[in-house]
Amino acid sequence: MDGFAATLKKETHDAVYNSTKATHEKRTKVLFDHFPDANRLREIAGEIKQHVIENLDTYLPKVEEKLRANGVQVHWAPTALDANQAVLDIMRKRNATKIVKAKTMVSEETELAHFLEKNGVECLETDLGEFIVQVDHDHPSHIVRPIIHKSRREVAVCFEKNGLGAYNDDPNVITQRARVFLRQKYLQADVGLTGANFVVAESGRLVLVTNEGNSRFCLAATRCHIAMVGIEKILPRDRDLALLLNLLARSATAQQLTVYTEFIKGPRKPTQPDGPDEMHVIFVDNGRIDVLATECRDILRCIRCGACLNVCPVYRQASGHAYRSVYPGPVGAVLSPLLAKEKFPELADLPKASSLCGACQEVCPVNIPIPDLLLRLRDKNKRAHGPNSGTPPLGAWSILASQPTAWKAAMAMGGLVNHVPRVLMPGPLRKWSDHRTLPPWRGGQFRKWLKNRPTAKGKS
Amino acid sequence: MSSPSANRPTGKRVQMLATCLCDAFFDDAARATVEVLEYLGCAIDFPEGQTCCGQPAFNAGDWPASRRVVRHTVKVFAGDVPVIVPSASCAAMLVHGAPLEFEKEADYGEIEKLGHRTWELADYIVNGLGVKTWPGKFPAKIAFHTSCHSRGTKSGESTLALLRSIAGVEVQIFGEGEQCCGFGGTFSVAFPNISTGMGNLKLEHMRAANPDILVSGDSSCMMHLAGMAEKEGHPIRTLHFAQILRDALKNGGLLPT
Amino acid sequence: MNAREDMLGRVNKALAMLPERAALPNWDGELAVAHKLVDHHAPLELFCERIKLVNGTPMTSVTEVAAYLKKNGWMKGYCDPALQKQLQEQFGPEFTLSPEFDRTRVDDYAFGITRAAGGIAETGTIILNDTLTSRRLGALAPWVHIAILPRELIHLTLADAVLVLGDDPNVIWATGPSKTADIEGILIEGVHGPGVQIALIL
Repeated sequence: MDGFAATLKKETHDAVYNSTKATHEKRTKVLFDHFPDANRLREIAGEIKQHVIENLDTYLPKVEEKLRANGVQVHWAPTALDANQAVLDIMRKRNATKIVKAKTMVSEETELAHFLEKNGVECLETDLGEFIVQVDHDHPSHIVRPIIHKSRREVAVCFEKNGLGAYNDDPNVITQRARVFLRQKYLQADVGLTGANFVVAESGRLVLVTNEGNSRFCLAATRCHIAMVGIEKILPRDRDLALLLNLLARSATAQQLTVYTEFIKGPRKPTQPDGPDEMHVIFVDNGRIDVLATECRDILRCIRCGACLNVCPVYRQASGHAYRSVYPGPVGAVLSPLLAKEKFPELADLPKASSLCGACQEVCPVNIPIPDLLLRLRDKNKRAHGPNSGTPPLGAWSILASQPTAWKAAMAMGGLVNHVPRVLMPGPLRKWSDHRTLPPWRGGQFRKWLKNRPTAKGKS
Repeated sequence: MSSPSANRPTGKRVQMLATCLCDAFFDDAARATVEVLEYLGCAIDFPEGQTCCGQPAFNAGDWPASRRVVRHTVKVFAGDVPVIVPSASCAAMLVHGAPLEFEKEADYGEIEKLGHRTWELADYIVNGLGVKTWPGKFPAKIAFHTSCHSRGTKSGESTLALLRSIAGVEVQIFGEGEQCCGFGGTFSVAFPNISTGMGNLKLEHMRAANPDILVSGDSSCMMHLAGMAEKEGHPIRTLHFAQILRDALKNGGLLPT
Repeated sequence: MNAREDMLGRVNKALAMLPERAALPNWDGELAVAHKLVDHHAPLELFCERIKLVNGTPMTSVTEVAAYLKKNGWMKGYCDPALQKQLQEQFGPEFTLSPEFDRTRVDDYAFGITRAAGGIAETGTIILNDTLTSRRLGALAPWVHIAILPRELIHLTLADAVLVLGDDPNVIWATGPSKTADIEGILIEGVHGPGVQIALIL
């Protein structure tokens, strides 16, 4: 990650920095202007989500029963492949070959579009940012702002390269071109796929929070709706939505509400000519149940708002691609290694790439104690991989720091440079000195002064 | 993030944890802490056997190593008087970090008890001893860095209140005050580019306010920022706020020089 | 063992080790109300104020709507069949209000007129649903959407509106025209949905 940050293009760095900083500042203003007690709201929302997570054994069957009663078919997907296969099976049963999808992070985890394309199904992203990412064979770098790292020039070049018009970097023109191109695709598609921001156990309602109108179009133009939903997205009651909806848009985009908040309870009303006759919900595990069994289960509260990314000084320096995973930023630093399962070592640097400043926890609408979770992961990494964990060896230091005589000798001598933040090795010391000087060594001076001063009030 | 408990012990008999950084580099900040507390009428016990709060190993993920050091600290600070620490991060370690890594340990109770008695210095002066304004004078423009470990505590606001009340002190506002300085323990050497990127940003903001001195309640942040500034050839003056409190007294003729 | 049993079994196992489960807080509904915004305001007045802040357009007469559409040259559109006859008369012969929506000619309709199920003053939101929206595409695809909103159906707060979501399978809260800021954070209105959102309050 550090290497990536060092070689990041200035244009990209500036785009990410300016955008995240602006959104964070707007978020703070709109949240606290409207709710002076916003931190209390975050605490309660956190308690609601924690309650759900710790009672998923009750909530999952409850939600399933309610969905079925509403005429929705429910599927269960332990792995990414199961989730993708479930979508394909539904398509095949309907002889369907074209799907339009709204933005859903869980489908990026499972790499749904890629899987469907491989199996002869046209799967088109409809969220503008995701559409551009798909056309450009790129990867999103932020969970709410997928092309935060791209300039309009890069988008214009991409459109021209892919038959979407001669070079034009006016954002209005780019958006209009996408609008015109995609509306034909909606109308020709067989199936519309979405995620869900929330699923309410009491009513079986799915809640979608969007701005562009793409999920509405998916559900107005096609006859079959498939929703891919992580098992942790449940909320207990409709009334809890008042709290979460007030927090979500303000945290994500500094809006009071996003343009479209959709509450979907089942297939279309029989008197409604447009919309799906058939509705499916696929509950996706893909590692979440493993996380549920760990001390890091609090991360499952996450409602994917991106506020932590926007405030994180590390994210601002490195940008999203440095995290090499679907979820970047502070949430990603916890969730990505955990969801990676046996590939944990490949992402082991993520929990360490943090100064533990706590800004993320302060903005999280569900009050996730992210720094504590990062610390737990560092402990877990060390225990699992010992000498190969990449953790600096501090055993010798800890023995020194529990033996006062040796410690005081080291202080007085000053030669044994075995101290915070430098470790017993020349390597880290050298690394420190690459960028910073060291203050003069004053080991033992304070204790000497304390002992020798004329009016020794304190006992030693 | 730590939130110190509501009913911590107060009083004028205290123990002091100097911190390993003061032990090694910043002896004057520790000295100033003693002088300030004694000025306020405190009787200070400095347990000689103290070493470190155990945070470096805790943050690095070597919890067994950290627990060894914390256990030693608990032993050394036996008692029930307040433990005063001139560092928000060391205080946070004892209040929040240590209980976290001792969750499953048999001696969790002992560790929690120590955390229950721990106060960061400014928090103690303002909320433990009830001192709202600071006497003496210290004419200077100060940029105050609220360290990240004071999140969720009263340390930042307490320090600012004390500094602002000193005759002659001008506390400068600068941009992005809530952003981390980039130190973060072993993070500073494991992720040097990101760490110094953050540090440079912080220095840029603080310098834009044109201060005479950079001040904080955490020596680690100061060491990182001052070290960077000096390395690039534009050194800045840094002080622990305890030194400002002490020097204000001296300047006002309230301390024997 | 099927996928369902596998997942639920592992969930049970994961949670079995918890000594106790986090309780559901019974939080006070007042916390979810932005009192600074709503106190001492009547729903209609607040609704008009808030909808303008999200670039939605409140109007109070058919004449007003017709004048606006004519000014922009938007003369042909879709209209809820139940209202078409009456509104065609009120709009006049210059306009074409079609009670049918031809999917193959989606861009022929510059505007769509459908009935709203309610509104939310606190946020400037128009509530649509399957029951009262004659065609989902009619309210979505045209550049201009005109939602006919009886003023007595405007709720004061979001918290109120959440409690009456009811049984309609497709309730939509539309808060202004569709938008994006995906490209360099620049706000563009009119993406896949309408670029103009009118609330015709009667």
